[in-house]
Amino acid sequence: MRLIQKTNARALPAWLCVSLLMGLAGCDKRPRGPRYEGAGNPKPRDGGTFVFHHESNVRTLDPHLAYDELSNMAIRLLYDGLLDYDEQSNLIPSLAETMPTVSEDGKTFRFRLRRGVRFHPMPGLPKGRELIAEDIRWSLEHLLSGDVASPGFPFFRSIKGAEAFHSGNEKHIRGIRVLDRYTIEFTLSEADQTFLNSMAMTFAYPVPKENYARRGDQVGQYPVGTGPYMFQRWERGVQIEFVRNPRYFAARPGPNRMVYLENVQRYVASLRFQNGGLDAIHRYTPAHRRLYKTARRWKPHRKEFAEAVIYGLVMNCELPPFDNVHVRRAVAFALDRKGWAKARGDAFLPTGQFLPPSIAGHVPRLENRQRFDLARAKREMREAGFARGLRKEIVLWVGEGDSGRFYGELVQNDLAKIGIRVRVRQVSFAVYLEETAKPKTVQAFMSGWAKDFPDAASFFDPVFHSRSIRSRNSQNRSFYRNSQLDALLDAARIEQSPSRRAKLYQQASRIVTGDAPWAFVYNPLSMHVWQPYVRGYGPHPVWDKDYRSAWLDLPRRRVAHMLTGRRFAKSMASLFPFGPLMSKRFAEGRFTQRRRPAREGTMRLR
Amino acid sequence: MIAYIARRALFALFVVAAVVTGVFALMNAVGDPAAATLGPSAGPEQLADFNKKHGLDQPLAQQFLAYLGVVRCVRPSSPRWHTDPGQRGYCGLLQGDLGESFGHQEPVGNVILTRLPRTLLLGVLALGFELLLGITFGVLAARFRNTWLDTTIMGTAFLGISLPTYVTGPIFLLVLAFWYGWFPVGGYGVDPLDHVYHALLPAFTLAIFGAATYARVMRSEMIETLRSDYIRTARAKGLSTRTVTWQHAARNALLPIVTLMGLSMTILVAGAIITETIFAWPGMGSLAIQSIYNLDAPTVMGVVLVFSVTVQAGNLLADIAVAALDPRVRLGS
Repeated sequence: MRLIQKTNARALPAWLCVSLLMGLAGCDKRPRGPRYEGAGNPKPRDGGTFVFHHESNVRTLDPHLAYDELSNMAIRLLYDGLLDYDEQSNLIPSLAETMPTVSEDGKTFRFRLRRGVRFHPMPGLPKGRELIAEDIRWSLEHLLSGDVASPGFPFFRSIKGAEAFHSGNEKHIRGIRVLDRYTIEFTLSEADQTFLNSMAMTFAYPVPKENYARRGDQVGQYPVGTGPYMFQRWERGVQIEFVRNPRYFAARPGPNRMVYLENVQRYVASLRFQNGGLDAIHRYTPAHRRLYKTARRWKPHRKEFAEAVIYGLVMNCELPPFDNVHVRRAVAFALDRKGWAKARGDAFLPTGQFLPPSIAGHVPRLENRQRFDLARAKREMREAGFARGLRKEIVLWVGEGDSGRFYGELVQNDLAKIGIRVRVRQVSFAVYLEETAKPKTVQAFMSGWAKDFPDAASFFDPVFHSRSIRSRNSQNRSFYRNSQLDALLDAARIEQSPSRRAKLYQQASRIVTGDAPWAFVYNPLSMHVWQPYVRGYGPHPVWDKDYRSAWLDLPRRRVAHMLTGRRFAKSMASLFPFGPLMSKRFAEGRFTQRRRPAREGTMRLR
Repeated sequence: MIAYIARRALFALFVVAAVVTGVFALMNAVGDPAAATLGPSAGPEQLADFNKKHGLDQPLAQQFLAYLGVVRCVRPSSPRWHTDPGQRGYCGLLQGDLGESFGHQEPVGNVILTRLPRTLLLGVLALGFELLLGITFGVLAARFRNTWLDTTIMGTAFLGISLPTYVTGPIFLLVLAFWYGWFPVGGYGVDPLDHVYHALLPAFTLAIFGAATYARVMRSEMIETLRSDYIRTARAKGLSTRTVTWQHAARNALLPIVTLMGLSMTILVAGAIITETIFAWPGMGSLAIQSIYNLDAPTVMGVVLVFSVTVQAGNLLADIAVAALDPRVRLGS
C-alpha cells in the first residue's frame, strides 16, 4: 500500500508531462493569418518556385489517357488545346488563331492554327519544332485509335468515320481533313453542340508523334507539349517538377519552376501551407477549413465557390426494393439535406435536382425538386406497399475515409424514420469503383459526378442515358432506363439554339427528379486558399486548379513569427483558471506583426 | 553455430515464402487492379488491354508460379516475354525480377531501390535515437532509482510505450515543426544534409516506442547488475561511481538490448508505414500504403518481401550477436 502511495506522489512529474503534451495538442495558439506576404511589386514578375500539392498520386501525364483531376492539374501546365475557356466559362481560341468557322448545318468546323507555336524540346529535337495542322490530325487519330483505348473516345465519336477508325475498319478518320499547313477541318456525322467543348478537353491537346514513337508505353512519364511549362522530372508518387517554357507563344511573367507534390495528407499539407511551404492549397482538414473561412487575414487570399459537381445517394433501379419508383422517391424525400449541411459545417449547398446551379438547364425553383419531407416520404412508402417499412435491411456502399462513413451514418439515421434499415458497407475506392459499375450487384451507394465540360450533356449523357449502361465498368451506375429521357437527351445534343437546349435539359431534369434513380443531396463548396505573395491566381470555373497564370510577388516577407518561449508560456497559461483571459490576445490571433528583414523566398523545394 | 544459422535461414525462407503466398492470395482476392489503376472512366478495351499486358488474364495459379519464376513468363510487359511460348523466358523472384509496378510503370526493383535508402535512413536514425535515449535514460533511472528522476523517466517511458505513432506524429508536427519551426513540416528535402534534417522528426517519432522499451529494460537490467558482487568489488576497489555505472554495470546490462534490437526491426518496419505517411516521407512505408490503396499487387508484394526479409534477418543477426557477446549462450544447443 505504501509503495503505491509513494509511486503516485512521485508520478507527479510524469503526469505533468502528460498534461503538457495534452495541453500542447489542445491549446492551438498559432497565428491565424498568413506568415508571409509579398514584396508589393506592382507588375507581374518572373522568378521563384511555385509549389502545389494533392493528397493522392498522378496516374499519367499522357493527355490521351489522363481522365482525373490530379493528372489534369499537371497536364494543364504542359499542354494547350485548340480551344480554351475564359474566366466566365466561355470558349476562346488558344492554339487556334480564332474561333472555328462552322457550317450552316452545324456539322463542319474549320480551325486555323496560330503560327509559330512550338513543341517543347525532345530527344532528337533539342529546340522542339513547330506545331502544324498535321499534328492535330495525328493526335486525334492516336487518341481515337482502338489500340490506345482512350477514355476520351466517347467525346469524339460524332466525328465522321471515328467509329470505323476506332474499330480498325478504316486507316484514317474520314471526318478530319488537313487543308494546308495551318488549317484543319472536322466534319461530324450529325450536328453535336458539345463538339467544341470536346475539342477544348485535355484529350484533344496535340502531342508530337516523334515522342510517342520514341517513348512508346512510357510516353505518360515523358510528356512533351506546347504549354507554358516543360516537364523536368517525375518521381512517381512523390513529386513532379516543371520548368518554364522560354519559347511559349503566349509568354507572360510567372514562376521559373513549378513543383507538384503528390500524396501529401491534408493535415500535413495545411500545416506546410501555413508555414509557407506550399503556395496554394485546396485540400485541408475540416478544422483548417474553418480557420481559412473565418480568419480575417486569409479573406483576400481565398475563394469559396459551389463546384459543378453533384453528390447523392444512387439507387440501383434493377434491384429490389429500388426497382419500385415509390421507394426511390421515399428515400429522396427522407434525406434531411439541410441537417446534413449543418453536420458538415456548411461545406456544401443542399440541392434537390441533378444539374448544379452553374450549368445551363438548372431550374432555380424546380417544382418537383427533391427535398426533406417526411410525411411525403412515408406516403410514398405506403404507395410502394411498405407502410410498415422494409422487412430486409438494405446495404449502402460507401467509399473509404471518414466522410464515407459519416454520410453512411446520416443515411442510416434518416431512412430509419421511414422504416428502412441500412447496413453501411465501407470498401476501398478500387473495390467500390468496380462493384458499383456492375449490373445487379450493389443496391445503393453514395456517389458523385463532376463535369467533363460546362454543359448539361456532360452530366446527363453518361449518368442517365441508357447508352451508358455497360456490363462492366458501366457509367450509368443506377442502371436507370427511360426511353423518353433518352430521346430528350439525343434531341438536346444536336439542338443549336442555346435557349431551346436549356429547356430540353430542364425537361430532362424534371424526369430524373421525379423518377429518382438518385436522391440528389448536395453541390460541394470548394475553397482555394493561396499565399499573399501568390498573385494572378484564382480558381478557374472550368479547370478549377489552374496555376498557369500565377506569379510570385517575391521576395516574400515574414510577417508572423513562430511561437517563442514567452508565447508558449502564455498559451500554457490558458490551461489554468483565468488563463484564457490572459491569453485572449493570442486566442484572437492578434499575433505579433514585427517584421524581419526581407528575404528571397525562392527555390523552396521541400 | 553454422548448423544453427542454416536452420534459422531455412526457417526464415519458409516464413518469407508463406508471407509472399498469403499476400499474393490477399491482393488477388479483392478488387480489380485494372479498374483501380486506370480509374473509373476506363473502358472495357482499356481494362482488357491492361490485364493482358500484366498477365492478369491468366489463371491465378499460373500467375503465382510465374511470379515465383518456376514457370515461363506470363507478362507481355516483361523484357523476357516472347510471343513464341518456346522462346519465352522466366521473369519471377528466382530470376531476381519482382515484376512491373502497375502504378509506377517501371520494374518494382527500381521503385524499391529508390525508396529503400530513404527508409533505411529513417530506420538508422530511429535506431540511433532509440539506443541513445533508451540506454542513457535507462541507466540514469537505475542509478537514481526510487527518486523523482526515476519516476519521471519511467512515467515518460510508460507514456512512450502507450502512445501510438499516429498520435505522437501529428503532435510533434504541430508543436515542433509548425509552432516552433524547428523542423520542416514533412517532406524529404533536396540534398543529403537536407534529407537528414527532414528525417530527424519522423525518426524521433519512430524511435519513441523503442527508446521507451529500451529504457525500461535497461533500468531493470542495471538494477540487477548494480547489485552484483563484481560491482561491489569494483566499488570496494575505490572506483568512481561514474566508472562503475558506465564501464562495469552498463556494458553488462546491454545484452538484452541486443536481443531487443533484432526484435525492434519489426516495430521499425511497421512504424515506418505509419510514420512515413504522416510525415509525407517518400520511403517504403508510404509506398506500401499507396500501393495497397491502388491495388498495385507487384509493388505490395515487393515491399512485403523486403520487409519480411529485413525482419527475419534482424532476428537472426540478434541471435548471432547475443551468442557472440555472451559466452554462456550456445546457439543450437
